[in-house]
Amino acid sequence: MKLFWKVFCSFILFVQAVTGNWWNLAAPRVPSQAGNTSLETFTTLQKESCHRLEYLVERQKQLCLLSDRVLQVLQTGASQAVEECQHQFRHSRWNCSTVANSTDIFGGVLKFKSRESAFVHALSSAALAHAVARACSRGELNECSCDARVRKRTPRHWQWGGCSEDIRYGEIFSRDFVDAKEDKNTDEGLMNLHNNEAGRRAVRSRMQRVCKCHGMSGSCSVRVCWRRLPQLRLVGDALTTRYEGASHVKVVDRKRGKNIRKLRPIHADMKKPNKTDLVYLEESPDYCEPNDELGILGTRGRTCNRTSAGLDGCRLLCCGRGYQTRVRDHEEKCRCRFVWCCRVHCEICRYKRDHHVCN
Amino acid sequence: MTGTIIENLSGRKLAVLVTFLLLCQVTCFLIGGLVAPTPANAQNILATVCKDTTIMKNDTTKWFYNRGKGSCKTVHLGDMHTDLSETDVVFAFQMPVPRDDRILDFSRWQQNLIGVLQLDLKYHSQMEVKPRSTITIDARLAYKNKGDADEDWKLYTRSVEKRHLDCGIEVKTEEYLYNCSAIPLFELGSLHHDFYLLNIRLPVDTPDMNTNIGHIQDLWLTVINQNGGFTKVWLSLKTIFFPCIIAILAWFWNRIHMLQRKPVLLEKMLLSLGIALCFLNMPLEYLTLHFDLPFMLLLGDIKQGVFYAMLFSFWLVFAGEHMLIQDASAQSSLKQYWRHLSAVAMGCISLFIFDMCERGVQLRNPFYSIWVTDLGTNLALTFIILAGISTGVYFLFLCYMVWQVFINISQKRQSLPTMCSVRRLHYEGIIYRFNFLMLATLLCAALTVIGFILGQVAEGQWKWDETIEIEYASAFFTGVYGMWNIYIFALLVLYAPSHKRWPVSENTSDTQNLSEEIEFSPLPSERNSEISSLTSFIRKTTVD
Repeated sequence: MKLFWKVFCSFILFVQAVTGNWWNLAAPRVPSQAGNTSLETFTTLQKESCHRLEYLVERQKQLCLLSDRVLQVLQTGASQAVEECQHQFRHSRWNCSTVANSTDIFGGVLKFKSRESAFVHALSSAALAHAVARACSRGELNECSCDARVRKRTPRHWQWGGCSEDIRYGEIFSRDFVDAKEDKNTDEGLMNLHNNEAGRRAVRSRMQRVCKCHGMSGSCSVRVCWRRLPQLRLVGDALTTRYEGASHVKVVDRKRGKNIRKLRPIHADMKKPNKTDLVYLEESPDYCEPNDELGILGTRGRTCNRTSAGLDGCRLLCCGRGYQTRVRDHEEKCRCRFVWCCRVHCEICRYKRDHHVCN
Repeated sequence: MTGTIIENLSGRKLAVLVTFLLLCQVTCFLIGGLVAPTPANAQNILATVCKDTTIMKNDTTKWFYNRGKGSCKTVHLGDMHTDLSETDVVFAFQMPVPRDDRILDFSRWQQNLIGVLQLDLKYHSQMEVKPRSTITIDARLAYKNKGDADEDWKLYTRSVEKRHLDCGIEVKTEEYLYNCSAIPLFELGSLHHDFYLLNIRLPVDTPDMNTNIGHIQDLWLTVINQNGGFTKVWLSLKTIFFPCIIAILAWFWNRIHMLQRKPVLLEKMLLSLGIALCFLNMPLEYLTLHFDLPFMLLLGDIKQGVFYAMLFSFWLVFAGEHMLIQDASAQSSLKQYWRHLSAVAMGCISLFIFDMCERGVQLRNPFYSIWVTDLGTNLALTFIILAGISTGVYFLFLCYMVWQVFINISQKRQSLPTMCSVRRLHYEGIIYRFNFLMLATLLCAALTVIGFILGQVAEGQWKWDETIEIEYASAFFTGVYGMWNIYIFALLVLYAPSHKRWPVSENTSDTQNLSEEIEFSPLPSERNSEISSLTSFIRKTTVD
C-alpha cells in the first residue's frame, strides 16, 4: 500500500512537471516582499517560493535557490518572453494569448510539437539568457561567472585578463535552467533542445560591436571593442523570421553503434536545418475555432484589418467566417511632448474609425 | 683613421649579432602573444535607476548605489511616474560588478579607467531625437576602498557636462531603439582606489535643456581598464630594456670619449635618441602602485612623443649626413637641418598642445572633452591637421633625401670598376652595409605599419593551432616595442666608433680591410677628422 502511494505521488508530480513550464512565472506575481523585511525572513521566503513552484524540476529549483535575485530575474525573463510573443503574434490566428488559473500559462496549446511551440521555446530561452545577462551587467546577480577566455596557464583572475561578456553567463544559465527539463530521449525533448539553442544563438548573433580608441593622444593605436546586448525586440523579430521558415522534421534513429537520435527533414529533398533554424515535428492545430480541451480561444471577436492581404487581414484572420464592421469613437493620444524624465504631455484626439471584428 | 663598428665588423660577426637580435625580437613577440592577456578589458554596466527622495539635490555626501547596505530604492523607467521629477532620478553605476560570488575590486595594476556612456533611446513618433541635439549630464564620481563601510563613498570629482547625441534609426518603428554612437564620458589616469561609483543625473535647469533627447530606456556605461596581466608583462619588458639601453649608452659614450676628436653630429643624435628611449623605457608605473599619479596617461603620451620626435629627427640627420653635398671642411651641425627639423617640431608641438588641451585638462576634470564645444572642436581639428601636414611634409623631405643618397651611391658605383679590386671590395662592403641599415629601418617601419593594419583588419584572437592561441593585439604591442628597442640598440652598437686601426689586423677575417689604409691616407683633408669612413668615402669622391 505504501509503495502504491509513493508511486502515485511521484506520478502526480511527474504529470505536474510535464504540464507546466517555467514560463508560468510570467503569470502569477509572486507576492513581492516588502522592503523592510529582515534578510533572514527574506531568504526563507525565497526558499519557500522556489519550492512552491511545482512546475520547476529539481535542477531548476536548485538554480532558483542560488540567490534571492534569481527568482526575480526568472520572472522578468518569463514575462518578457510572453510580452514579446504577444507582440510578434499580434496578427496571427493564435495570438500567444495567456490563460489564467491553468497549469500552463498558454493553456496547453503548446502540447503540440508545432511551429508555435518551437517559437515559444526558442523565444523563452533567449529571453532568459537576455534577462540574466542584463542582471549581470547591473550587478544584481553575484553568480555571474568570470570565465575569462584566457588560456589555462595564466591565473584565472579578472585582474589579470578581465572577464568574458555577460551574455556568455546568460547563455550558460539559460542552457542549464531551461534545458534541465527536456529529455533527450523523447521526440519532444529533442525538438525543444534544438529550439532552445536556436533561441540563444539568436541573441548572440544580434550583438552589436562597439569600439573605442584610447591610444597615444586618443589615437587608434590602442583600441578596445565590446559587444552590446541587443534589444529583445530584435531577437523576437529574428526568431519570427525563423518561425516563418521553420523546418518540419522527423526523428531518425541511428542504430549503428550507439543509439543516436537525430532530427532530419521530413522530406529528403529539403534543406537540413542548422543550429539557428527552428524545427517542429507536427503541424499546428486549427486555431480558428475555440477548443476548450486544447485551450484554443479561436479568432472570434478578434479585430482584423480589412485592407490587409496578410495574416491580419479579415479574410485570413476570421477563417472565412466573415466580419462585422462597427464605427467607433476612437480616442488617441497625440501631439505628445516628452518631458524628461517621466512625463509625457499629450493631447487627446478624438475621431471616428471603422472597427472590424471577426464573427 | 677609424671607422664605425659596422664597417669593420666581419660578415660572420654581423650575422651572429643580427641573429641574436632577431631572436630577441621573436621572444618579445611571443611574450606578448602567449603570456600577456589582451591589453585592455571592457566591462558593460547597466544603470540602476535610483529614486532620490532627498530635498537637497546638490548634496555630494549622499550617494546612490545598488549593492550593499543602504542601497537605493529603484524605479522602473518604463512606467510613467507622475510623482517623479527629473531631479529625483539618479542613474547609478557601481563598478566593478561582482563575479563568481565574489566582490571584485580594481587593482592598481589596472592603471587607468575610461568610461563610455551608451544611451538606449526608444523611438516614439511623437518625440523623435532631433539631429545635433545635446545632452546635459550631471556626473558625480565617488570612490571607496576595501575595508570602508558600504555607505562610505567619498567624492572624487563632479562636473556638469554637455555631450552631442549622434543617433540614427533605420526603420522608424515605435518601440525600437535608436542606434546611438557611444559617448566618451571620463578618463581617469590613475586607478588608485578599489571601488568607484558614478551617479548621473540629467538636469533640466533651463526649459531647453535635455528636451530633445527622446525616451531613455536604459543607460549603459562601459568601463575600460588596462589589464593587470598586460601591465605586468609590459612593465617587465621595460624593466629589462631600461638597464640594457642605459648600459649600451654608457658604453657608446665611453667609446666616443676615448677618441681625440669631438663627437660628430650623427653620434650626438644617436646619443640623444638613446636618451629618449631611456625616457620611454623608464618603468615609472611602479610608482603608481603606491602613489596616486593621475598624470600617467599624459606622461605616457609625452614620453612617446619625445621618442618619436627624436627618431624622426635622427632619420633626417642620418640621411643628410650621407648626402655628400656639404662642404667637407665644415663640421655639420643641427643648424643645417633646421628646415627639415622644423616639420618634426611643428608636428610634435601641435600634438603636444592638443594633448595638453584634452588630457591636460582632464587632470583637473576627468569628464572634460574638447570635442563638445564648436570652438574646442575647431581648435582640436586645427592642431591635428597641422600635425598631419607636418608629418606629410616630413616624409616628403625624408624620401627626397634618401633618394638623393641612393642616387649618389649609384653614381659612385659606376666609378667602382676603375678602382683596384681591394678598394672596390671595401667600397662595395660599405655600400652594402649602408643599404643594409636602410633596409632594416624600412623593415621596422613597414612591420609596424603592417602589424597595425593587420590588427585593425583581423580583430580578435588568432589561431594557428587549436592549442596555441596568439593574443594578437598584445603581441603587436610588445613586438613593436621590442623592435624599436632592438633597432636602437643595434644602431648604438654598430655606429659606435671602432677601435680597430686600419693597418693593424688581429683577425684573419679582416685582412681584406688591410690595404684600405693606403687608399684612404692620401686624402689630406680628412686625416684628422675621424668621421665615419662611409662619409669620408663619399666626400672623397666628390673631391674627385
